[in-house]
Order: sequence, then structure tokens, then C-alpha cells
Amino acid sequence: MAVERIELTVPGRAEYARAVRIIAATLASRSGMSIDEVDDVRMALEEAFLLACARIGADGPVTFRFDVDDDRIDVCVGPLPASGDGDRDEEAGQRYSRFILEAVCDTFQLDTDGPTCFVRLTKLAGAVS
Amino acid sequence: MTGAYVPRSRRSTSRKLTWDKKHTRELFRHYQATGDQAARDELITMYLNLVKYLAHRFRNRGEPIDDLIQVGTIGLIKAIDRFDMGREVEFTTYATPTIVGELKRHFRDKGWALKVPRRLQELSFRVNQAVDALTQRNQRSPKIPEIAVYLDVTTEEVIEAMETSEVYNLVSLDSDRNSDGSDSFSILEYIGEDDKLMGIVDDRTTLSAALKQLTPQEQRVLYLRFFEGRTQTEIARQLDISQMQVSRLLRKTLRVLRENIVREEV
Repeated sequence: MAVERIELTVPGRAEYARAVRIIAATLASRSGMSIDEVDDVRMALEEAFLLACARIGADGPVTFRFDVDDDRIDVCVGPLPASGDGDRDEEAGQRYSRFILEAVCDTFQLDTDGPTCFVRLTKLAGAVS
Repeated sequence: MTGAYVPRSRRSTSRKLTWDKKHTRELFRHYQATGDQAARDELITMYLNLVKYLAHRFRNRGEPIDDLIQVGTIGLIKAIDRFDMGREVEFTTYATPTIVGELKRHFRDKGWALKVPRRLQELSFRVNQAVDALTQRNQRSPKIPEIAVYLDVTTEEVIEAMETSEVYNLVSLDSDRNSDGSDSFSILEYIGEDDKLMGIVDDRTTLSAALKQLTPQEQRVLYLRFFEGRTQTEIARQLDISQMQVSRLLRKTLRVLRENIVREEV
């Protein structure tokens, strides 16, 4: 199939994590991923969402752009503020999110462009048994 | 022989009950030979502290501690009634899994009943079984459409079942299976100073405090997934649990770790 692009925008509040997880799982499944990989994508998207919420604040919208292919899914989250307010809570939480995202995704980047940044991650189907 | 048994009421009231093995054996012999309820009551009293200890391990899960002690006491009574002295195991060794089992059952029944419709409970169990069966048959982790076809449901229903297992957040109860202390795995022993996890926190003490909130089995799952890079299916095979149990354990473990690391850092 040709790459399909899906966009999702939700308020930056924890109660929307379930909606993000369900959409992510549905799209990951369309990429031909195993249940292990689908679960990784759910986990990754929740972490990315929490990371975004920490940067954007409670009421700011968080936008996800999914590019879904036969054997991979690429996700871009943002735009987000390039840095948080320096609160140590936020810093520790974001370091933790990075640890998880680097472990469960095939690629993970936090791209900064001036005052904004984007979380970019990729998960490949068939990379694990 | 039951002659050595002396009812509590006829002993000095100032004498404290002790965990005396000989006395315990006498009590059990007497109770099993005669069915004397006084002996049974004394055994219950003797081991009530074990129930309290085990019940406290399940605190902070939304149930009053008195209720948990009551549930645990039912487990204790079952253990007393079923204890076979011929097996030559200590009663505490025999009773602990029975009491813990009763507590887990209480949470399992109540947890599902409160939060998840029966249709979804059943679907979640069926998905769990389907994942195991398909993994066994195909020697790989199944895809969602394969699970859907196997169960004759839609892919959306399978994904809904995955979410349902998230709601059922009592996974740490499953991880208490090594409550006798046979599993002493500690992830800290495997984490070097230059490890990525150490990069999250300011010092090892913070990390150590956060990890102490996890059981040995939760730490083992965390280690296998994030340090050894094992898949959920591989971990499930190694620990002899289901893939969905691994998934739930990971989710719970990450949540606890996040809460504790972030809180400690503030």
C-alpha cells in the first residue's frame, strides 16, 4: 500500500492517553506488526504523549502525524516548545521518556528547530520475532 | 498422640504464645484427631500475625486493611484444615501461598467486577489464550488480524481487549508468586554507573529507592526487556507466563518507576 498519513490532535491531558494508544495500536496493526510490536508502539506513543504534555502544558493541543506503510510506522509529535520551564520534575520525567522511547523504538529523535521541537520515532515491522 | 495437648485456657495466662514447633505439632495432631474447635481457634490466633504481614503487602490497593486481614484469615483457616503433617513442611511454608492466593482471588474478582464488563473480561482471556496458542503454533508472535481470525472477532475487538487488560491493573499480584523469597533478583546488581537508566537520575540512591517499589519478578521483566532487549514473547517463554502478562507487568513497572523517579527527583 502507499504510505497513508493520519493526523490526530488531542488536548494535552492524561485522560487522552487511552485514545492515543488505541489509534496507535490500530495503525501499527495496519503496518503488519506482531502483537509484541503493536504493544511497543502503544507504549512508545504513550511516552511520547507524556513527554509532549510536559512541554506543552495542560491545555495545549498535541498533534501526532502518523505515516503508515506496509512494514513500518513513522510518527512525528509536535510542534512542541523547544524546552520546558526548567522544572526538575519535568526534566526527570523527560529523561525517563527518552530512556523508554530509545529502548522500544527503532529510531527516536528530538529535533529542535528554533523555539520549537518535534519528537520523531520509527517502528519497523518484523524487526523482532 | 494427642495427650500432650493442653488447652490454652488451662495454661498460665501470663504465658505468651510462642512459635514453638513442638507445641504447634501437638495442636495440629490434637485438632486433626479430635476436631476440637478450641485447638483450631488457638492455631488461628497463633498465625494471625502471618495473615497481617501478608495482608499488609496488598495495602494501598483500595481495600481497607481490616477487610484484607479478614480475607487472609479465610485462607489461613483453609490452610489449617488442609495441612498434612505427614509432608514434613513447616506450616508457614504451606500456609503462605494459600493465604496469598485467597487475597489475590479477592482482588481478581473485585477488580474485574468493578471495572470491566464480563464480555470484555472473557474476550481478554480468549485473546490471551489465542496469543499463546498462535505463538506455539507459528513459533512467532502473532499479528492482530491473525488473532482476530482465530477468535472470529474483529481486529478492533482484539485491540479493545488489549486495552481492557490495561484497566485490570492488578498485575503486581501475579508477580507476588515468589512470595517465599526464592526469587531475589535485583536489577541494581546489573546496572553499571554508565548505564542509560543511571542517566535519568542524579544518583544511585534515587534509582535504588525507586526500584525497591518493584518486586523481583517486575525487576526481572524490566531487565529482560530494556537491558537485554528481549521481546515480550521471549520474556513470556522464559518466565513461563503469557505475553499479555508480560505486557501488563511492563506497563505497571514503568508507571511505578516513573512515579518514583520523578517524585524523588523533585
